[in-house]
Amino acid sequence: MNTVALSGVGKSYGRNTALADVTLDLGPGITGLLGPNGAGKTTILRILATALAADQGTVRIMGEDPRSLTGRTTVRRHLGYAPQETGFPRGFTAFSFIDYLAILKEWSDAGTRHEEVRRVLELVDLADVAPKRVGALSGGQRRRLVLAQALLGRPDLLVLDEPTAGLDPAQRGRLRDVLGQAGESATVVISTHQTEDVAALCERVIVLDRGQVLFDGRIVDLVSEAAGRVWMSDTRQPTAQYAWRTGTGRVRNVGDPPPDAELIEPALEDAYLLLVGDAADDERLESAS
Amino acid sequence: MSAVWHVDATALAAYAEGRCTPVAGASVEAHLMRCRSCTAGLRGLMPEEPVERAWRAVRAHVEEPRAGAIERLLRLVGVSAESARLLGAVPAFQGAWVLGLFSITVFAGVAAVFAGDLGMSLFLIVAPLAPVAGVAASFGGDADPAHELEVATPYSSLRLLLLRTAGVLATSVPVAMLLGLGLPGPAWLAVAWLTPALTGIAITLALSPYVGTTTTAAVIGAAWSLGVLMADRAGEPETVVEPAMQLVLAALAVIALVHLVLNHPTLDPAGRNS
Repeated sequence: MNTVALSGVGKSYGRNTALADVTLDLGPGITGLLGPNGAGKTTILRILATALAADQGTVRIMGEDPRSLTGRTTVRRHLGYAPQETGFPRGFTAFSFIDYLAILKEWSDAGTRHEEVRRVLELVDLADVAPKRVGALSGGQRRRLVLAQALLGRPDLLVLDEPTAGLDPAQRGRLRDVLGQAGESATVVISTHQTEDVAALCERVIVLDRGQVLFDGRIVDLVSEAAGRVWMSDTRQPTAQYAWRTGTGRVRNVGDPPPDAELIEPALEDAYLLLVGDAADDERLESAS
Repeated sequence: MSAVWHVDATALAAYAEGRCTPVAGASVEAHLMRCRSCTAGLRGLMPEEPVERAWRAVRAHVEEPRAGAIERLLRLVGVSAESARLLGAVPAFQGAWVLGLFSITVFAGVAAVFAGDLGMSLFLIVAPLAPVAGVAASFGGDADPAHELEVATPYSSLRLLLLRTAGVLATSVPVAMLLGLGLPGPAWLAVAWLTPALTGIAITLALSPYVGTTTTAAVIGAAWSLGVLMADRAGEPETVVEPAMQLVLAALAVIALVHLVLNHPTLDPAGRNS
């Protein structure tokens, strides 16, 4: 059974449609959500994290309907969630913040709870700052603190919104290791703007744009869609969808090639740019006609 | 004589198992301080599990930071460590807030005793509104900085709300009641402000899923203050807590509480469309 099954899910905020008719099944392993700002990534993750109810469609998480109190309580017992942004209670230390969330996650025995708090702090390399107040931590440390609480109790469903934002390369490497291990048994869903994180971690990628699923499949299949459309040249092709001068001095053209161009292997980023760019072109053509 | 003396295996094993006499133990310990070879031998003899457990206990003691002042105070008066932490996370139980509310209530109480009708009006405004403000600062997105994380946990929203409301009442009501005992006029005035306080809390909680606790409490505060000031201008501020008003306020409180109990799933954002 899939951990998550969304069918025809829609969500609007006033007149703005955040999600329109999204259908998805997710099982164990790491799935990456990619998409421009406002594509609906955070809305999907909040629905999966039972922090938001869908307006339309059916949502099943671990076979439970999160609209019912018992259903969402069951889901929450198996859930780890790291939102994109959160505040922190004033005066709490790193340790007491994680301990606070662990109490809310029903770890009633203080001994085992504190041991678990130390375990997750160690996982994100924050054991040394456990007694420090959250207000005195750096932005990257706070980000890792939010991730640490999501790892409490080794959840079966891990929902992480922009987990690598604000982390330096070494911290991102460490986090990839932690998530890679979690993804061996749990269903991990991450949203990100970093295509390299998705390429490094995920088996599956879902590209969203304006509340709809543009692509849902294996990374290699998305990359292969860009085959034959990425070029290196000495000059810039004005009609290429994206073109930029690389560190070698040559120009990478994504889309149409200039005359002297040499075809190269596409990367996930190229495929993503083309997919979102093509969808925007289609939209423009439709509205013009 | 240059031969180096080492602790023999039997004595070392006895030391590892804690069977040495105090004198022999002290002698072994003195030697271990300067002999690496015997220390290494001892390490092999020590049962690993208790050492590991002891080390974890030491780390736990060193790394677990002391709870904040309010949390420690709550634990002193018998609140469990878990409940104290759940209370300590919101502004209503943080030092500046508690101290501020305490000072205003005391000031209003003293004013009521010494400053005639105006002081009485001040007391009738502050005493009921202090717990309403406390509740507003203890639950919901307005008050919980980590609300988004909290809603995704299995802990019941209703339970958290009741715990924090009880905490607010326990910290704010006794002070105002004690001050009320010193008020001029009939004895019932000392507790007359309790009904508007409970009505304000019930309405704030009942409307919290729709309007937010801060906004609701602000509107209630403005309306109640206006009512008391109008009664004050008429020369009798006590009329706002007279029996007829008590009945009206109690009826409002009952309606709000019934609404809250019937619709408590809406306290949870994921329950609002069900």
